[in-house]
Order: sequence, then structure tokens, then C-alpha cells
Amino acid sequence: MTYDFDAMLQTIKDKQWSLADIEWDAPGAETMTDELRAKMQPFLADLVWIEHVGARGFASLARKAPTPVVREIYEYFHAEEQKHANAELALMKRWGMLDEDGSIPEPNINVKLAIKTLDAFGDSLPLSALATLIPLLECALDGALVKFLLDEVSDPVCHEVFRHINSDEARHITVDFQVLELIGAGPMHRLLVESASNLKPQVVLGLIVVFVPLINKMRDNIVAMGLPEQKLYNAVKRFRTIGGRGEYTHRIPAYHVLKAQAAMVIDRSHPYHRLLADPMVKVTSFVPARILGRPQTWVDEVTHEPVAS
Amino acid sequence: MKILYGDEWRAFDLTGLSVGVLVPPDQAARIVPAVVGSARAVKVFQDSPVWVVPVAVPRVGPVVSLARLHLRMAVRDAWTRRLLTPGRFGSREVVVSPSYYRALEQPHCKLVAWPVYAIVEHGVRTAEGIEHRLDVLITANPLGKAKAA
Repeated sequence: MTYDFDAMLQTIKDKQWSLADIEWDAPGAETMTDELRAKMQPFLADLVWIEHVGARGFASLARKAPTPVVREIYEYFHAEEQKHANAELALMKRWGMLDEDGSIPEPNINVKLAIKTLDAFGDSLPLSALATLIPLLECALDGALVKFLLDEVSDPVCHEVFRHINSDEARHITVDFQVLELIGAGPMHRLLVESASNLKPQVVLGLIVVFVPLINKMRDNIVAMGLPEQKLYNAVKRFRTIGGRGEYTHRIPAYHVLKAQAAMVIDRSHPYHRLLADPMVKVTSFVPARILGRPQTWVDEVTHEPVAS
Repeated sequence: MKILYGDEWRAFDLTGLSVGVLVPPDQAARIVPAVVGSARAVKVFQDSPVWVVPVAVPRVGPVVSLARLHLRMAVRDAWTRRLLTPGRFGSREVVVSPSYYRALEQPHCKLVAWPVYAIVEHGVRTAEGIEHRLDVLITANPLGKAKAA
């Protein structure tokens, strides 16, 4: 049975929400203790950047979408990820985690490298690679990071915001996997040709120099902040389970590559860390940010203000 | 927020006002250069972009190449250029306007490419979660009236 993307697009339009719907001054901000603030500030800054960079990923997906309806859905998802980044920044503002001008904290070098890669190659990455990567990141975000945040923070406004965000994310994950089904159902020769084109130097290099250390640094940062590794394990298991339920997803080579990589990432004792990921984190930490140049202006578009004049 | 339909904006003094333009791209290319001079701020809500050429050219030959070149020359910011570039399911329409991109480049003019999902009392809400406050909204669609809260 083919999936009804038109109905999903309508649902997405019907479920829109705005930062202006949230009462940002409502009581509950006092539940953020100094100790919790110090612990959650870097976590939330990472989270805002993940959403913001994820949003840029959807912008590239929209360019590659297999049908006009899927393109429109991705355009909404691009905006919704941006909305999540905006809402999380507004929570940081509420909890006094931002400096006076309210700007987003500077990202680490690995996020900067990811931004640079998206600016340079984002729109030329093959559909199957990007379409597989995004649901994996969303499973991790939704299944591990957000659950961790909600376990730690009791502020009712935070829980209200994440009810909206989780409802959006559930639709993102549904569509992401349905698109994988659509791609996987295509002719095998096309999948193979596209997969071979994934082996372009910028993709392979991007994966090793940008993606591997980015994910590992985030992983270690977040585990150090107290995220139980079991949650990461469950998130990757979810990616495998939903992907495995599909009839055609298993035909996409990129799905198997990322599934295998994800399994290595969550297992800290795997040689992947010792031989590849940890050295890459170390090497990239020596990259001076200034050689990357100024990122494109989408990077500046995140805001904690619900209303723009 | 005052909503102006169709050509009503022509008879309206926009001096010093914050103006939103929510119309199909061929009309935006005509309206934005005309209002950007008097309005205090202009936000152009774009559904999907079309190719723009500065002068009328025959619809044969490399019209898209000309439009691409025009965009490259007229708009400095790479991300804005991307937002103004039609995608593969984009419209095949080519609009003639010598001044649309120049108007968009004005410091008080902003292109908003996020999907618009509601017109509310004081402005327009877009899917990135922000309410854009406006004094006046210029729109082509009288159905917008039904949506207004």
C-alpha cells in the first residue's frame, strides 16, 4: 500500500504552532537550580545547534525530494527544525543561560566543520545518503537527548514546549522512513548507481573528517553530562526496528552503512573509537576556525524572540 | 494590521509603515520595488521562487542562464540566492523585473521563505515559529480574509 503523503502534508499544516503560543514568563523557571543550569547549559547549546544544522539538512532534502508533495513536506520540516532551535533558545533565555544580547552560544569546531560542509556540498549530497542520515539523527535526538532533558528538568513550560516538539518529531520520523520506502522501492540499478555516487571524494571525506568526529564529540559530551548510554542504545535500536519494518528500506545500501556505524558509535569498547573516531576528534580540534571562513547567513537566523517586528 | 487585497495598496499611503507582501512571485516582482521606497520595513513572504530576468527576452535560448547570471550579479548573499533559486519542481515561469532583486537588497527589505501558515490579528505566522508583526499586509488572495483570526 502506498503511503498518503498528501494527507500527511495536510496534518502538518493543521498542527502548526508558534513560539507566541507559549507563555514564556509562566511560573516554573525557578525550578532551574544553579547546579542544574550549569549542567544543562552546554547540553542545550549543543541541542540548539543540532536542530539548527538538522534544519539545514532538510533544506537540502527539499531540493532532492522525489515528488512535489514530499518537497513541500520537507520545506515544512526545515522550518519546524528551525522552530525547535528557536524554542530551545527561548528556553535557554528563560533559564538565564544566554548572555545579554541573547545570541546562541558559539558552536564547537566540529559543528563549524559540519556547517561548512553543508554550505559547500549539502545540496549535492545524494538523496539516499541524506534521507537515511536524517532519521538516524532524529531517532537519537528524539529517543535519547530529549528524553534525557525531560528527565532532568521539571519546568512545566519546558514540558509544554517539548509536547509540541515531540509531536512534530513523530511526524518527521514517520515521513523519513516512508521516504526511505519510496527510495528503496525504486529500481535496483538506480540504487546502486546512486550508492556508487555516494563514494565521491567529498562524501567520503565529509563522512570521515566531519561526521565521525562530530557524532563522537557530541556522544561523549552528552554522556559526560549524565545521559545514560542505554538511551543511545535504545535510540539506535529504534532506527533499526522501524527501518526493519519497511518492505524496501533494506535495499538502500546507505541504510546498512549508517546502521553499522551507529552500532559502533554506541559501543564505546568498539575499535572504531580507538582507531578512527577518537583520533579524528583530536585532529579536528587543531583546525583553526578562521580558515573555514564565514558561514552562510542561515546560521544567524535562529532567534529566541517569538515576535519579529 | 490592515489587509490590502489586489491593487488596493496603490491608493494607500505606506509611508513609515511596516509592510508584508504575500502574493505570487510575478506580483511580488511588481509590488516590492514600488513599496520599498516609502515603507519603513518590508517583508516579502515567498511561497516558491521563480526565475527573474532584468529585460524581456524571447522564451527560447538560455533564458535560465540569463536569470541565473542576473541573480548572481544582483544578490550578494549566497543563502538568499539559494532561497531565490527555483528547485526541480519549481515554476517554469520567468518574470521580467529590472528592480525586484535590487529592492530585496535594500537593508529594510527582508525575504522570508518560511511557509506562512496563518494570518493573525497583528501579523503573519510562519512555520519557523515566529509571528512577523506588520502594519499592513498586501495579499492577492481574498480567501486570506477567511483565515484571518
